[in-house]
Amino acid sequence: MKHVIIIGGGVAGMQCASELARQGVKVTIIEKESDTGGKVKNWHKLFPTFTPASEVLSGLRHKIAATDNVTIKTGCEATEISSNCVGLASGEELSCDAVVIATGYTLFDARIKEEYGYGIYDNVITAADLEEMFNKNDVRLVDGRVPRRIAILHCVGSRDEKVCQRHCSKVCCVTGVKQAIELKQTFPSADVFNFYMDIRMFGPGYEEMYREAQQKYNVHFVRGRISEVSPTIDNRLQIKAEDTLTGRPLKIGVDMLVLLIGMRANDMNAKLESGNGLLRQASGFMQPKDAFLGNAESNVDGIFYAGAVTAPKNVAEALCDGATAAARVADWLSKKE
Amino acid sequence: MTFFANFCIPFILGATVLFVTITIKYISWLKSLPKSDLKLIVKGILSPQTLVSIWEVVRESLLHARIFRVNRRLGYMHMSLAFGWFLLIVVGWIETVAYLGFRWVPLQGHVFFKYFAALNGLNAHIAIFDFVMDLLLLFVLSGVTLAWYKRRNSAKLGMKRATQHIFFDKIALTALWFVFPVRLIAESITAGIYGGGGFLTGGLGKLLAMTIGSGALEWVYEPIWWLYSLALGIFFMAMPFSRYMHIFTEIPLIFLRNYKLRPQDKEKSYDNFEVEACSRCGICIDPCQLQQQLGIHDVQSVYFLRDRRYNMLQQKIAHNCLMCGRCEQVCPVGINLNTLRLNSRTSMRNIPNEGRYNYLRGKDYSSGEGKVGYFAGCMTLLTPNTLNAMRKIFETAREKVWWADKDGGVCCGRPMKLTGETDSAQGMMDFNKKLFEKHNISTLVTSCPICLRVFREEYNLKGIEVLHHSEYILRLLQQGRLRVKYSTEQTFTYHDPCELGRGSGIYEQPRAVIEAIGQLLEPAHNRKNALCCGSSLANTAIDDKQQLTIASGVAEEMDATGAKTLVTACPLCKKAIARGTKSKVVDLSEIVAGNLK
Repeated sequence: MKHVIIIGGGVAGMQCASELARQGVKVTIIEKESDTGGKVKNWHKLFPTFTPASEVLSGLRHKIAATDNVTIKTGCEATEISSNCVGLASGEELSCDAVVIATGYTLFDARIKEEYGYGIYDNVITAADLEEMFNKNDVRLVDGRVPRRIAILHCVGSRDEKVCQRHCSKVCCVTGVKQAIELKQTFPSADVFNFYMDIRMFGPGYEEMYREAQQKYNVHFVRGRISEVSPTIDNRLQIKAEDTLTGRPLKIGVDMLVLLIGMRANDMNAKLESGNGLLRQASGFMQPKDAFLGNAESNVDGIFYAGAVTAPKNVAEALCDGATAAARVADWLSKKE
Repeated sequence: MTFFANFCIPFILGATVLFVTITIKYISWLKSLPKSDLKLIVKGILSPQTLVSIWEVVRESLLHARIFRVNRRLGYMHMSLAFGWFLLIVVGWIETVAYLGFRWVPLQGHVFFKYFAALNGLNAHIAIFDFVMDLLLLFVLSGVTLAWYKRRNSAKLGMKRATQHIFFDKIALTALWFVFPVRLIAESITAGIYGGGGFLTGGLGKLLAMTIGSGALEWVYEPIWWLYSLALGIFFMAMPFSRYMHIFTEIPLIFLRNYKLRPQDKEKSYDNFEVEACSRCGICIDPCQLQQQLGIHDVQSVYFLRDRRYNMLQQKIAHNCLMCGRCEQVCPVGINLNTLRLNSRTSMRNIPNEGRYNYLRGKDYSSGEGKVGYFAGCMTLLTPNTLNAMRKIFETAREKVWWADKDGGVCCGRPMKLTGETDSAQGMMDFNKKLFEKHNISTLVTSCPICLRVFREEYNLKGIEVLHHSEYILRLLQQGRLRVKYSTEQTFTYHDPCELGRGSGIYEQPRAVIEAIGQLLEPAHNRKNALCCGSSLANTAIDDKQQLTIASGVAEEMDATGAKTLVTACPLCKKAIARGTKSKVVDLSEIVAGNLK
């Protein structure tokens, strides 16, 4: 029986595992955290349908549980990777016939943009923090009050040369719209502002959602990045920005600021490049063998990619990627015989 | 006595062109000096500064003391050429007097004395002159050999990169290389035929007479003197148009500089003296980080001055400079490289936009009241940890503070000045100056060295003491108004910001503050030799990736000290260095606020 190791138990890795297992391949998932599910595990609802993230995960877990072919090793980090062997931090070595790298991405550390005051001022939170609040059904200010005015800032750590993140993280725009709607649903009388550079509504149903946010929920959209945030005497946040459509500087006080942090390439990608000769893009994400016909393969035989390890992707794309990688791996295994 | 031969013509021609051109240049530069500069000259000329200048001319133009300090081998090379040649001229003149008594001898009579001595039958040689003149010639030739060797292999003389020269320089340089070897041969041949000469020319002359015969020597006698005269003539003719203009220009420059003339933020006639005093020695190339870390080889001060001199300066050259001052620090001529570059930028880019800052009129976002004013500056507002730390420090020291720009203010103006928009910057400077004066403060504290510099140098704030927060914090510590915990467990390394260190001369205060809290470990380049963080506002030509490359180099040196925390005292440096490392990078105020007792 062939054995495939999948590094990363997020949605892409789980999808890939279930597809391979269904075809009778033995699969081991190496997950560094205590549970599978990756970033989606911490998310509340998914755009554009507001499907609970937990629903997607339980669906995947069911599929995996339906076969006996998948072993999941959690709390386990892969340190050495080659196409026929994976070394773990514990010193254990697993031999295999192919490896799928589905390690995803790292959330941008908002502290680097010190001017936005994350970790300095109360009530400056990230999109990930907000999802966690939604999960706990506990969205409020640090002092327990209900926010009356909320700003959502797009492109924090995306399209920003100053922090060496030139790429667009793609999913933040629609996340901002989704979270604005959710905030309006939670606090109907609150004012919600989105500060954006461009609104990139690339997916099915996204543009409609953007329209709905404006027409039905009266979410405000201001084209312009926030330049700096400072505290006011009454412990609110003062935001300085430029409304680039009117060409005027703008100052408003808000109760809460949500930073839409972008997707950053994992630090370990550099090691994959230097240690394994795997190609990496300028953005730091891994480079697939071909942008069209080989997007699940790496430039090294027997090593495959699935999900956001190659570029920022939404959940649906990561799931698609998982299935594609499974098909490519199966094909490669059959040729190898 | 005859003191003319046809071969003298190239020399006479060259010397005339040189004399006329230099006279025209100096007179026209002096004539177009602004009145204020002329006043300074009149005031200075009768002061002790003139004597100081004469001594400096001897030290610098002849002995090249400053180059010696940078690099001994280079220093010897320059000294042997300049001082050796000077002595040859002086001793040569004395020699003429010794042979002929005090009488008028035309210039070529002095220069080609050995030829005319033979021609006029002065055969009673004075041995001491033969010896001294040969010794001096040997001294100069050793310099020429080094210069020639340096062209081939600059690293051996301590320069990683030598200057890339233009056509005129190459002609002059080639002619100069010929002058002394040809003189050696010409004088040796003369000695070979007519006798005389010291250990060098006499010896070589005898050797030549023995090996190739005196008949052959007589055959090349005239041509070799022609060649010597040609080499001199070509060198003199090329001189005022080439880098060798520096030989003469450094002399008036030394006088004018000691009379307190300085370049300013707009170009003026005095700048010509500084620009043409550049010898293109290229000592400014090696310390340039753009060259070291980014491989940019055509923007350094030597090339900037060259391009400016020949009116071919391009924006992309003028603007591609961090203005870190590392080159100014080593320039042996002491040229104000940064100011000259700034005023070139002004000439290229200063298009005042009268209406641009109208909205500022009457605005005042300041808050609080106190004798001490605090100006955070734009960059500190973007690094609010510093602002918070300063707030805590003021509170602990019970200082009443007037906050100039916490809730919005106007830029200090220096970033605009650095890009050359001098007049627009003036609008902002005027605004801030009025604001400071209106609020009756006696001390102005800022956390930003960029603001500090312009406040100190250009705001002319009467009755207001301007302090960097490192100076202010140290003062609070010394007065006992602030007390900090000390622990050897805490290790820090410190990055000298360019504007604070080389720019404002503040090296010790931040170090004293750090050493009150923990152990300070110095990076490889520090104080006057500190590196630039790479994010300098003065450079609008390099991109973020290039800035990051420089920052990573700086961070690497700091990390190599093994210190747990990297400290700097400039919000811009802090942001820049933080990009290049995973270590913790903080402002000086943060470690103070975090260790208060």
